[in-house]
Amino acid sequence: MNLTGLESIFSSLVAGATPILIAAIGETLTEKAGVINLSLDGTILLGAMISFVTTYHTGSLGLGFFAGALVGAGLAAIIAGLSLFFGASQVAVGFVLTLLARDLAYFFGSTYARISAPQIPPLPIPYLSNLPVVGPIFFNHNILVYWGLILIPLATWFLYYTNAGLILRAAGENPKTCFSRGINARFQQLIYSIIGGSLVGFSGAAFALCFKPGWGQPQGAEGTGWIVLALVIFGGWHPVRACLGAYLFAFLQIASLHLQNQFESVPAQVFQVAPFPLMIFSLLLVRLLEGDSHRNLSMSQTRSSGFWQKIFSYLTGPAPSALGKPFSTEADH
Amino acid sequence: MTHRAMTVLLRRVALAFILTAFFSFPCIAGENPPFIFGLLLVGPYNDHGWSQAHFEAGEYVQTKLPNCKMIYIDKVNPADRPGITITQLVDDMVEKRARFIIANSDDMKDGIREAAKLHPEIHFLHISGDDVLTAKAPPNLSNLMGRMEYGKMMAGFVAAMTSQTGKIGYLGPLINEETRRLAVSCYLGARHAWEKIRGKNPNDLVFQVNWIGFWFNIPGVTSDPTQVSQHFFDTGYDVVISGIDTTEAVVVAQQKRNQGKNVWAIPYDYVGACEAASQACLGVPYFNWGPHYSEFIQASMNKTWKQSWIWAGPDWKDINNKDTSAVGFQAGVVLPGPIKEKLQAFITQLGSNEINLFTGPLAYQDGTEFLKAGEVADDKKIWYMKQMLKGMAGQSSAK
Repeated sequence: MNLTGLESIFSSLVAGATPILIAAIGETLTEKAGVINLSLDGTILLGAMISFVTTYHTGSLGLGFFAGALVGAGLAAIIAGLSLFFGASQVAVGFVLTLLARDLAYFFGSTYARISAPQIPPLPIPYLSNLPVVGPIFFNHNILVYWGLILIPLATWFLYYTNAGLILRAAGENPKTCFSRGINARFQQLIYSIIGGSLVGFSGAAFALCFKPGWGQPQGAEGTGWIVLALVIFGGWHPVRACLGAYLFAFLQIASLHLQNQFESVPAQVFQVAPFPLMIFSLLLVRLLEGDSHRNLSMSQTRSSGFWQKIFSYLTGPAPSALGKPFSTEADH
Repeated sequence: MTHRAMTVLLRRVALAFILTAFFSFPCIAGENPPFIFGLLLVGPYNDHGWSQAHFEAGEYVQTKLPNCKMIYIDKVNPADRPGITITQLVDDMVEKRARFIIANSDDMKDGIREAAKLHPEIHFLHISGDDVLTAKAPPNLSNLMGRMEYGKMMAGFVAAMTSQTGKIGYLGPLINEETRRLAVSCYLGARHAWEKIRGKNPNDLVFQVNWIGFWFNIPGVTSDPTQVSQHFFDTGYDVVISGIDTTEAVVVAQQKRNQGKNVWAIPYDYVGACEAASQACLGVPYFNWGPHYSEFIQASMNKTWKQSWIWAGPDWKDINNKDTSAVGFQAGVVLPGPIKEKLQAFITQLGSNEINLFTGPLAYQDGTEFLKAGEVADDKKIWYMKQMLKGMAGQSSAK
């Protein structure tokens, strides 16, 4: 394969991972705050449909993205609200909502199938896009790809280097302590669920208005929500690790296209279905090895641990302690 | 509630029941009840592809044959309706008084044969199947298919006439005899244009077939047609011919054109498929099922039904005639005038049999002989295409 071919693969990888990583960062924020939003797949689809329809009727991409984010925020608010204020199971509500949102998207979006609407235009960055190798890979995309690339360090900085991020993590780790320190943990959880949900809805809009443009059944984004959930969990609730998973998934999808041509004796179906199970298998492997490496590290603090053990220990992390456990101030009174 | 109030309520319920029964009675047992035909569609009725072409043919029948009424069930595929069988859906249609049922996918072959055996009083039409040819069909089941090979030759012709890089991508669905012969037809059309019209070396023509695994995208099951199309365009292919039921190829082509690339696509199946991205669409080979649907349904209504296997071709006088031609090619608005003229000449030559692209010498992809020098392929040899041809890149077999 020549350099242009490699540039093409990596350029596709950077672009293809963008909507996945936006959703992954959204869900990381939500789960870091202690709330599980299981409705991702339905949210992405409903967000995609609403944003497409909005853009189709108004001609405004901005309104389309706003509508997609609003849908995501609304669904997340339902899950967080019912859980935090009425004690409903986050998993049950989220699961029901993902099915409902999917069906609503296909039902109401039926009349808009396979028609054209405005799309996000390309935005090559002057000078930088002409640089050899890195230019086509990183600087010859559209504004969403750049926004996705910026969002990774931004979310990391917010979570780990700001006071607001510390409060968010505290609400997800120990809401009772937050409460005793005068912080309204439930409010924090609600707010970050809504912000996280809006990013998930935004990623749905990104699919319909840019990465898999248009609407139809099945929408190409279907199934992505479940991959995002897996990325967040197996990536140890860290935005960078979740995003690395997003790039790995995009890589597997693109690699399967190349490999189908390279290995013609292997049945095409193998490459067609490979990305989803390979992704889950890779994440599971990392998680299992991470468990071993953590055990080994804790057993032999003084011994120098292996290189791979250290690598795997960096790749994952523990779940927020209060994840999925609604906090009630009444129990403390 | 008092006794009097209860009596009034019961009287009103009884009155409503009687009125409902009275007004609905003519629909059930009127002198001239509608002839109901059912349509089982593998994809959504508005997919801008295969299923929409069938759905609109059903609408055509309703306008052409008075007192005919269509009922349909779309998305009949394992991903959208897991666990639902064709016989269950047919039972449901029969219960709704359907007397003629069309199944529009090769995937429904076994199911519709089973249903036809279970309902010998109903007439069935299986699109794209060969049960009549193989004598597996019960007497009430017929087969219909369009000779899309001609449409695909036109698509290949237009692609090769337009391509600047000499690299044509084919977005294939799953691998079977039908999809192989359609890909082969595209290749033959492209090779003819490349070699005979443009005078170029056929060895310089790259014709790559990538299969996604089904007729449309099923996330997690098939390859993503959007990504496959992007991959083609990103690796130097400037025309992608779609063999799948949906419009991803032409949508991606439009997206790439917006990025400044000089690329095009050719969708498939449905006459309006170019609407999704008309500025990137060179044209579309499409099916026009209406005329043959009408004939079959008319025969069923008149009780002149006769089992048949029909492979219907274009009306060469006017391949885009809605009332006569089973297969057509709608040129795209961006197709340059000189290429349109060459295409028209090519169509004329195909229609007059001056050119038959299924003429030997032709070899299969593995080098074995398909047609000897001067040999013309018969219908069965084309229908049961065993491999792709030498000169085409991509997998020939799913095994």
